[in-house]
Amino acid sequence: MSDSILTMRQERSSLDLRKMVASERIVAGAIIPVLILLPLFVAGSWTYALGVCFANSIGVLAVSALVRYGGEVSIGHSFFAAVGAYSVAILETRAGLPLSISLPVALVAGVLCGIAFAWPSRRLSGIYLAVSTMALALAMPEIIVNADTWTGGFEGLYVSKPLIPGIGIELQRYYVPLVALAVVVYCLSRLRQSRQGRALLLARSHPAAADAFGTRRAWARVSIMGISGGIAAISGAMLAFASSAVSPTVYTFWSSIFLLVGSVVSFYGLTLPRALIGGAFLTLVPQVLSGSGAWIPVLYGLVMLVVILAGHYGPQLSSILFRRGEKR
Amino acid sequence: MSAAYHILLDIFPLLWSGLITGCLYALGALGLVMIFKSSRVVNFSHGNVAGLAAFLIYGFSSGTLLTLSWSAAVLMAVVAVIAIAFLSYAIVAPIMAKSDLTATIATLSLGLIAQGVTLLVFGADIVPLDLPLPRFSASLLGLRITGYDLTVLAVAVATIVGLFLVIDYTKLGVAFRAISANPIAAEICGLNLRSVHLFAWTVSAVLGVIGALLIVPTTFLSVTTVATFMLQAFAAAVLGGFSSLPGALVGGIAIGILMNLFTFYVSPEFTNTFLLVVILVALNVFPNGIFASTGGTRV
Amino acid sequence: MDAQNSMLTAQGIALSFGGIKVLQGLDVEFRAGEVTGLIGPNGAGKTSLFNCLTGAYRPQGGSISFDGRPLDGLSPAARASRGVVRSFQTVALCPELTVVENVMMGLARNYHSGWLSAFLPLARGRREDREMREAAISALASLGLADAADLLPSQLPPGMQRLVEIARAIVGKPSVLLLDEPAAGLNNAETRDLTQTLRNIASPDLVMVIVEHDMDLVMSICDRIYVINFGEVVTCGPPQAVRTNEDVIAIYLGSEDD
Repeated sequence: MSDSILTMRQERSSLDLRKMVASERIVAGAIIPVLILLPLFVAGSWTYALGVCFANSIGVLAVSALVRYGGEVSIGHSFFAAVGAYSVAILETRAGLPLSISLPVALVAGVLCGIAFAWPSRRLSGIYLAVSTMALALAMPEIIVNADTWTGGFEGLYVSKPLIPGIGIELQRYYVPLVALAVVVYCLSRLRQSRQGRALLLARSHPAAADAFGTRRAWARVSIMGISGGIAAISGAMLAFASSAVSPTVYTFWSSIFLLVGSVVSFYGLTLPRALIGGAFLTLVPQVLSGSGAWIPVLYGLVMLVVILAGHYGPQLSSILFRRGEKR
Repeated sequence: MSAAYHILLDIFPLLWSGLITGCLYALGALGLVMIFKSSRVVNFSHGNVAGLAAFLIYGFSSGTLLTLSWSAAVLMAVVAVIAIAFLSYAIVAPIMAKSDLTATIATLSLGLIAQGVTLLVFGADIVPLDLPLPRFSASLLGLRITGYDLTVLAVAVATIVGLFLVIDYTKLGVAFRAISANPIAAEICGLNLRSVHLFAWTVSAVLGVIGALLIVPTTFLSVTTVATFMLQAFAAAVLGGFSSLPGALVGGIAIGILMNLFTFYVSPEFTNTFLLVVILVALNVFPNGIFASTGGTRV
Repeated sequence: MDAQNSMLTAQGIALSFGGIKVLQGLDVEFRAGEVTGLIGPNGAGKTSLFNCLTGAYRPQGGSISFDGRPLDGLSPAARASRGVVRSFQTVALCPELTVVENVMMGLARNYHSGWLSAFLPLARGRREDREMREAAISALASLGLADAADLLPSQLPPGMQRLVEIARAIVGKPSVLLLDEPAAGLNNAETRDLTQTLRNIASPDLVMVIVEHDMDLVMSICDRIYVINFGEVVTCGPPQAVRTNEDVIAIYLGSEDD
């Protein structure tokens, strides 16, 4: 499964790619001040939704990082998100610990879960990873519900401790996820420039070549699952913080698939604008369609399919259009 | 003495009913393996499409959509599912040629659509779907054997034997085996990749409908039951190595029995977690399935 | 370490896939300071031998050692850290990495900065990165590719992609360099340049082995040539002897008749 992916990116000439990266930097540069100042101008319900959106964006990044650096698809990332979310919620309700302590714990727990989970299938083809992530996502809700002494069962738990005492919790529910998102984007951009990041990319496109130069495939698989699990746990922690609660209905098999939808919709992008597109899609579509929930899976499925087909046929179409343009 | 007797009394019915449901998991798993073997794609829409088919049969026979006889409803649903299989293949095939990963994601989006359509048309409620099964019940060695059990066994055995005969003796079946073994060589030899793929996708869809239909009496029909049932099918396929048809069969029965023993002796609340553990253990103990040939040298 | 003794030896290598015998008890010996050619018809087992030497395949029989120390049972990664590196028959560069980044991968095994450096701009990671980049650029420059450093592999013609692969292989100063058909897909001018490049790379400390179909290239740079057919060594000797060997002529004439 890990042979060639992201046809769209590879087909596109690299010059276009660079232009796109450059333009995304400009967009990101413009977005950040807007997002920082936004709470001054919009109503509280919007800042709340945006906080959730930032948390979802981080979750989308977790899936995209796995696709980009691992060449693998996960339909179980709600598990890692739940690990992060419940780490934060349980540490607060049980030990009264604030986010400053529980977030690192959540991160470590997510990384460890990712590693532990990738370990059994570290030498196997990616389909096994995909199938076992499916089992993971389906198992999570029943684990949460049955461990109700810790997790609060169906009811869930509340997360209400502010990160920084003295500042309004509403503002923190907006800014903390925003900062987390920015940090995750920054760390992922560093990863691309690092030895490990290059090794992961080579292992994805040419495992034998990576092997011949000292990068074991099993290392690549386990590493990227650890990274991705950690990012997903941050997303869960932020989701718990931004929405002030955790409950098993948020971390189901469907939420895992939705994270993948967000990732596909953002073309597996790891930049801030792309992550925001994915996160906004996941946050806003259910709000808009709240009256007719049955349309959500249909719409998500269709959009995902359209994006995939656009990625597949897009280069052909654009080359046809381009040729026509030349003739004129 | 009596403790042992009681264990036996418990265990035989558990094994028997595990075998029965296991046959159904095997049908689901065989469909997944057929598609994976021929096209290297994991079809994540399998469960959702089969679920949609079960709902269509309900809709066509109950008066929700149409009022047809049961057999006509089944026929219509099978036709619908084959049409969906063709459509799915038409969408996935070009993507497949470039990237298995993207094709797999595409099957997920098809599954989402199937799930959503089911929700839109039939709602999220549980619906009653009665199968015209022989009303029969007998006791044998402390086992209660019902008409349902025998029907499942007969249908599953007939389907599986039929499938293996087709694969072993028909031209299409031989082509299927050749393409599964080496797609490039098979295509060079003039085998038509497309018709073999369509064969696999169609057979898989039909197997899915049969499995979905027969599982309904043990639970009930709702938008999630059949999709969840497919997790068992996936686990069965993993146990069998994902590219072995006999492996899928044995894997299905093993999962059926293991699940029964687990829910009875350990806990009925952690079935998915148990499946997760089975999958992870299976990946470590039999990384290439229970029927893996030893002696692979490529590391 | 005595350069004279550096030698990669493989004894009795037997490899089969599902009953098909690919290598049948092959004995070869590659010496430092020599350029050894490995020729033979398609399917003779040349690439399979490379795969056994680098650890990608585990042969069922025989043993491989370098410098008198056995390599058997070591992973490709571990063999790479002993200095055994290779190029690939089909270009195996990562399309998403720039040329210089691809070459830097040839050094990755020598650097050990932790995961924290991968996500944060820590001093050690940055220093290592700078060192790798400098070494990679000088390796590229030695092959005349300095200008291509920041391009993507897809922007280069196939011949230059081959050279990038060779740059990746030599940047880590390997002790064994296995080149799998380096001239495949190159035009005449590119092949001439490649020949010169390979001559420059050859050094008294380096075991260099070339699998190649281009006989002019093989004959002009190899000191010794192994001819392989059906997984067995047909003959071995200097280019002149091999060129006139009757068995070899028979193999090649035979294969040309097809």
